[in-house]
Amino acid sequence: MRRDLPKVLMLGWEFPPIINGGLGVACHDLSSAMSDLADITMVVPKSSLGFKVKSVNLVGINNIDSSVFGDRATDQKLPFSLHSVPSDLNPYHSGSYLYSTKKKTDEGKSRHFDIDNLYGGDVIKKVMQYADITTSLASTMNFDVIHAHDWMTMLAGIKIKEKTGKPLVMHIHSLEVDRSGPENKGWVYDLEKKGMEYADMLMPVSNFTANNIYQYYGIEKDKMKVIHNGSNVVKSFKTKSPFKEKTVLFVGRLTRQKGPEKFLDIASRVLEKNPDVRFVMAGVGDYFRSILEKSSYKHIGNRFHLTGFLNLEKLRYLFSFSDVYCMPSVSEPFGLSAVEAAQFGIPCVISKQSGVAEVLNGALKFDFWDIDKAADCILNLLRDPALKKKVVGDAYQNLDNITWGISAKKIMYAYSSGQFI
Amino acid sequence: MPSICFYFQVHQPFRIRNYSFFDIGQSDRYEDDKKNEEILNKVADKCYLNANRKMLELIRRHEGKFKISYSISGTAIEQFEKYRPDVLRSFIDLANTGCVEFLAETYYHSLSFIHSRNEFRRQVEKHGKMIEKYFKQKPVVFRNTELIYNNELAAFIEEMGYKGIICEGVDKILNGRSPNFLYKPVIGIPEAKLLLKNHLLSDDIAFRFSDKGWKEFPLTADKFSEWVYNIAGNGETVNLFMDYETFGEHQWESTGIFDFLDHLPTQILKHPDFDFKTPSEVTASYPARDTYDAHSYTSWADTERDLSAWLSNSMQQEAFKRVYSIEKDVLLCDDGEILKTWRKLQTSDHYYYMCTKFWNDGDVHKYFSPYDSPYDAYMYFMNVFSDLECRVRAVLETKGNSVTYCNEFEEKKPASIQTNKVVSDELRSMQEAGNWI
Repeated sequence: MRRDLPKVLMLGWEFPPIINGGLGVACHDLSSAMSDLADITMVVPKSSLGFKVKSVNLVGINNIDSSVFGDRATDQKLPFSLHSVPSDLNPYHSGSYLYSTKKKTDEGKSRHFDIDNLYGGDVIKKVMQYADITTSLASTMNFDVIHAHDWMTMLAGIKIKEKTGKPLVMHIHSLEVDRSGPENKGWVYDLEKKGMEYADMLMPVSNFTANNIYQYYGIEKDKMKVIHNGSNVVKSFKTKSPFKEKTVLFVGRLTRQKGPEKFLDIASRVLEKNPDVRFVMAGVGDYFRSILEKSSYKHIGNRFHLTGFLNLEKLRYLFSFSDVYCMPSVSEPFGLSAVEAAQFGIPCVISKQSGVAEVLNGALKFDFWDIDKAADCILNLLRDPALKKKVVGDAYQNLDNITWGISAKKIMYAYSSGQFI
Repeated sequence: MPSICFYFQVHQPFRIRNYSFFDIGQSDRYEDDKKNEEILNKVADKCYLNANRKMLELIRRHEGKFKISYSISGTAIEQFEKYRPDVLRSFIDLANTGCVEFLAETYYHSLSFIHSRNEFRRQVEKHGKMIEKYFKQKPVVFRNTELIYNNELAAFIEEMGYKGIICEGVDKILNGRSPNFLYKPVIGIPEAKLLLKNHLLSDDIAFRFSDKGWKEFPLTADKFSEWVYNIAGNGETVNLFMDYETFGEHQWESTGIFDFLDHLPTQILKHPDFDFKTPSEVTASYPARDTYDAHSYTSWADTERDLSAWLSNSMQQEAFKRVYSIEKDVLLCDDGEILKTWRKLQTSDHYYYMCTKFWNDGDVHKYFSPYDSPYDAYMYFMNVFSDLECRVRAVLETKGNSVTYCNEFEEKKPASIQTNKVVSDELRSMQEAGNWI
């Protein structure tokens, strides 16, 4: 350990190589960027022993012999009451999955920490087990700040603060109101609300998320420090499109939050004016089948393609020849994919209901419900090379300010402003 | 003297591989050759060879009194040529007995009649040439894909010169009347006669034969013949129409289906009043007793007996309409490979795999589908279609033809009227030159 640096105990859930959406990538890149400025210990449910992050002490609790902590205080009282029902809910991916052909195992009965499926089975039980183990672990460690990422680690953060009295920072990458809509307030919402109330400082990834925390959770903004996400520099490249038509790209989970239906409506509207465009949706999710059916119903089946799940290589190939990137998210705390698109020199058409809209000035923006405006933006970008050049050029300039290094510095500054370090 | 008329459908589609979005523009290899070969080998060994051997034996044993008929699709014959010439030879052996009739159908086992009469006619003619080439007979009775039928089809087929048409005996159209007579269609020249499938007796063999929950299980040739005898005095032809794969594939050999088949002719022929006839003999022997009025399409599929197995959901309809939307462009390409590829996309099975009816119940649609889901079937199909569409465009552009994009969802702009005329003129000249087969 480097004794001269502030010590941060980070609590994460997803982490490479077990990535499930953007959270794992964000936690990895952020902790890695912070490692020059702080002594980071990142505790996650699962890590593979061979996987190392430079200067980050990565602990996977699957690799810990928990018996060294003695009896696990599973009946330990929480600082508030939670009504939990054992369930097979998956708060990040509701509904059925097209490609999940594997039989679900009876995970609820398992006595071990189920590390294979972070959101399957009885999630709240896993959250509580994770909290117990990390609390025991924390009591053997020396650190200045607890830095928890999203609701899965909030309980652990609360318990560690209870036990050690150290300041608790909650980094908010995504909220239940983003994922399920503001009208759905279940136990995850309750946990988020209680956790955020209890924390000493909140770090939402955008002003958009800060506003949501204020609006839907009733938490004052003076407790928040907005830390916009960064982005790693991707070596971009161009390939020749396999199509004669222009390509408009969507990347993301096919769930309500990401607005896949809006993309379909936008596609339909664009094709009315310009039939020489192809729309490509990369990703899977519970909306997959309905989107596929609706695209056929709207008679744009020959211009609207769903690729299913793609690996990074395929995804970058798509970026390398796409002409417009469209992100019609209904509620997007940040939206890193738009930054990636910008790195590939693709003009972005993004919803105002996103965090990335706050930092990417070189982009055309619309309210997610304004299909006409989005279609208009796309048509103009496809038709007008000067406009495209301007948007792409502006975005390139913004990219210099969207780095994890800047995010890391802001976090350190926030720690000191809160007198945590 | 009532007759038993057997007709067996022999068909194999060219199944499409899991052709991904990233294959578009990169690969013109659309078919799953391995799977097609595997399935054909399996069915050839379990059904075609065994059943053909049995049929040949029965024809010889009964000295010409046992007669049957087949409708073999062009796509099946092509796969026999490619993978199993022994199967093709065994069908030719059957043809040589003189007791086997081969029926007309669309070469690609397509739904073309529903969308393009010209394409339908071309496919029927292509099929007829193939039948003549291999089996040395000219089909005189027509059977449309999966017994899809309506009054208009009857008129069209009569105009093409066929003497009889095979179709489903749909209860609601028969309305209490017996399927065991010949009928005539209500419109058109009333010369062609309709042979209606007796679905009760046909399905007793095809579907219920090995059903242990069926109260008549086990079905013996004895028992079945008794049921057939019951029509004496109230019927002239018992039309037993089924998939040929019933023998050995849908009903495995272990169910005793071949023994049943072995005994059936003997049992039937025990009754001096009963005989076996081919469809053309039936149409020549009996008069049409009444009219059969099918306004909307009927078929032998599912319990609905309509088009819903192929064209009920939006994915099926979109795929189907897209395929025919490039018909003119495909013909203008005047490229044999492209034409053949396009026609293979018309095979009804592709649309059947996209059917979402009862998907969750694991019924026959699922049993026959090579894909994980109807959605996968649609995606792979549309990816293939997109690639073909790109190829067609490329060919036309090199030829200096403007792409017509006959897109029926976007009504024609005035400028394309001229193009359409050019197209129709070219089509006419191609037709005259006989260029498309």
